[in-house]
Amino acid sequence: MDENEATFHSGGNGATPWQPRIIGFLCYWCSYTGADNAGTARMKYAPNVDVVKVMCSGRIDPDLIGKAFANGADGVLVLGCHIGDCHYISGNHKTMVRMPLVRRVLEGMGIEPERFRHEWVSAAEGEKFSRLVTEMTEQVRALGPLNWRERLHACGVGHGMDLAPWGEERP
Amino acid sequence: MSETVQAGDHKASVDGDQPRVGVFVCRCGGNISDIVDVDAVARRLSDVRGVVCATTHQFFCSDPGQALIEQSIKEHNLDRVVVAACSPSLHEITFRRAVARAGLNQYLFEHANIREQVSWVITDKSAATDKAERLVRAAVARTRRLAPLQKRRIHIRPSVLVIGGGVAGLTAARDLAARGIHVTLIESSPFLGGRLAQLHRIFPTGQRARDVVTPLIEEVASNPNIVIHTNAELERASGFIGDFHTVVRIMPRGVSEACTNPQEVIDSCPEETVDGFNLGLAKRKAIYMPYAGCYPPVPAIDWRSCTKCGACFEAAAGKGIDLDEKPREVMIAAGAIVIAAGLNTYAPRHGEYGYGQFQEVVTLAQLNRMLDPTGPTAGKLTVNGRSVRRVGFMHCVGSLQHEGIHKPMRDGRINQYCSRVCCTTTMHAAEEIKDRFPGVQVYDFHEDIRTYGRRHESYYDHVCQQGVAFIRFDPLRPPTVEADTKGEFPLVVKTTDRLTFGEELEVPLDLLVLATGLVARDMSKLVDLYRCSVGADRFLLEVHPKLRPVELAAFGLFLAGSVQGPMDIAESTAAAAAAASKASALIKAGQIELDPFVARVDEHHCSGCKVCLYVCPFTAIERNDSTKTARVNEALCTGCGTCVASCPCNAIQQQGFEDSQVESELMALLAGKPPAEELLAAV
Repeated sequence: MDENEATFHSGGNGATPWQPRIIGFLCYWCSYTGADNAGTARMKYAPNVDVVKVMCSGRIDPDLIGKAFANGADGVLVLGCHIGDCHYISGNHKTMVRMPLVRRVLEGMGIEPERFRHEWVSAAEGEKFSRLVTEMTEQVRALGPLNWRERLHACGVGHGMDLAPWGEERP
Repeated sequence: MSETVQAGDHKASVDGDQPRVGVFVCRCGGNISDIVDVDAVARRLSDVRGVVCATTHQFFCSDPGQALIEQSIKEHNLDRVVVAACSPSLHEITFRRAVARAGLNQYLFEHANIREQVSWVITDKSAATDKAERLVRAAVARTRRLAPLQKRRIHIRPSVLVIGGGVAGLTAARDLAARGIHVTLIESSPFLGGRLAQLHRIFPTGQRARDVVTPLIEEVASNPNIVIHTNAELERASGFIGDFHTVVRIMPRGVSEACTNPQEVIDSCPEETVDGFNLGLAKRKAIYMPYAGCYPPVPAIDWRSCTKCGACFEAAAGKGIDLDEKPREVMIAAGAIVIAAGLNTYAPRHGEYGYGQFQEVVTLAQLNRMLDPTGPTAGKLTVNGRSVRRVGFMHCVGSLQHEGIHKPMRDGRINQYCSRVCCTTTMHAAEEIKDRFPGVQVYDFHEDIRTYGRRHESYYDHVCQQGVAFIRFDPLRPPTVEADTKGEFPLVVKTTDRLTFGEELEVPLDLLVLATGLVARDMSKLVDLYRCSVGADRFLLEVHPKLRPVELAAFGLFLAGSVQGPMDIAESTAAAAAAASKASALIKAGQIELDPFVARVDEHHCSGCKVCLYVCPFTAIERNDSTKTARVNEALCTGCGTCVASCPCNAIQQQGFEDSQVESELMALLAGKPPAEELLAAV
């Protein structure tokens, strides 16, 4: 596709080259603090991962990941505390079990496995966070835009993935 | 404006009237504005539906900055506030308070992190400005979906349960009782004092350990605010912060205070068994007191070796001896719990550095008992009746283990951590040997010496000058211990010395002391009953090592001492004092306010499948048998949201992280892609 067709930000003028749009679901206690840690250490990384904070990676409903892809994300990054470090004892154990299943479901729905990544980042691992963000960005950039919703609609499916009823909230 | 945020009005504002959002973009004195064009962000945001004011300030966290927020709330009749600034971990509370001061519900506020996660990590100004704009738009979208929330308020019962009667538990109990708080202290063994009572002389004061622990025990035992249960095992627990109910099983002691001639009673016992207090270096009777001056000053019967022959009963003339005493259960209600369960020393494997193979190989804890003049060898340094001429210390036995070199523990893991206290304890023992037995030669085999902390390193220097020979081995090729074939000494240690550039050494010894590390004890029952977090090293895990160092994630539980990891006595007592102070602050407040981000079950959608009951790490969800639906106990819920993601019916929502809120945020972040309506029209 023409790279200029999809624009980068809402204020984009169409002339900006395509940039991957990645959603990062981060648990508050380890990974979000790890991301802050990268900032405090002034590490530089790609601007393409937008962080959605949840209290525990166990809160990351696979539904949210599907909706992210369906609504324009080119990649999704799920980060939680290392096993044994969970603020909520075992919330991340559920994440550990869920994410491989999510990956299989996504693959079955035609999403390349490189677009979805699940890792553990502790509050001290700012360096790991910045590395993951940059790696993920380049990985997804190499694959190009996903346009999953368009793909699904082209196949005549995918209405269920629309974010009704709050889809109208779109600015 | 407080009246505009009542629940009813709020609903109206979502369904009918537009929420009135105020956006405040902070410059952070250039920290943000040098990279992010904050004025452009504010300008672009002012066009967003529902945003009635968008403004910038040098420092919104400053008093004038906060005043501007408050003033804008009143002036523009705002009912939602977004501040884009540093990380929420720094100033979310500051801004929530400012919002509350202006009469708005503090949970109608959203914080966008455009410093740690934007301006400090992105170099391209235009990309940074775009990203900041996206994050603020997302925060606005989220805030439009927010509902006013109230903090949970929980009443706290004015008593504390302290688990563990070692130095940390005793210190915590004493400090709590000194503040007038009723304390119940439970100890699993028959006597108080824990590991400290077993030590000999302690660094840095050189005092006898018993001179430290005995006055502490006396203080605790004589305090009318403290109830002590020894021989107490945890049985069941229920409840939550403010109202824990713990049932302990008091195992029979067999002897009561009515027994007036304890020593004669002990002497009358015909059964001998291994003396655990002296770490197997001596024998004791089946009815025993571990040391003179122990507390309680009443013997206890070791039921594993007692044959119930009745000799003690006769010696006591029937007074105070009950060989048929039954266990009894006691229920302890407490507003908070201090866990001071302590740790274990590493038990070397059979054959590890000759341990178990040679009688001349002992642990550092056993040496401590030998050096004690009241101990099993009466303070003499003898093995097998032979005076010791040469003693060696082997560091890091059970600590700093290496993958592939050391065999894993029972749970398959190796102990990679440093046990922290063994180096200085070894130095202390080496100095005492040099001091008390001047003829004895001392060798120190180490991979590394970590005499960390105040006064420790200078002490190491001091010991170096006492004529101790230090030998540094290669951790990947640890020394071997064999019987000395030349016969003059029982043992020989073979090693290479890195300090002399790989010289091969054979050191004959009379006694080899293994500086065994410290390991977590089996706390599965405790962990299970109170839902404690456990670290990868098997010790209990605090919420945050710096910000909340003595608290567990489950509310109302505090950690005292080495249950949390290897600590020396000073660190244990400091941690215990901290835990006591945290617990007493909670008790004295009488009630606590908790974040309202708890899960809520919509009974109309709940199918009663119980998945949430199984996934909840805090057993905060129960099933209402009459309605056959799940119900969240708000006092137990810590707000992780795991149940929300697990519910197949979407019947659970987490307040503050409802699907609609998270998804609005997601939508705003992904905006700029073709809107759904157009696509639908195209299909």
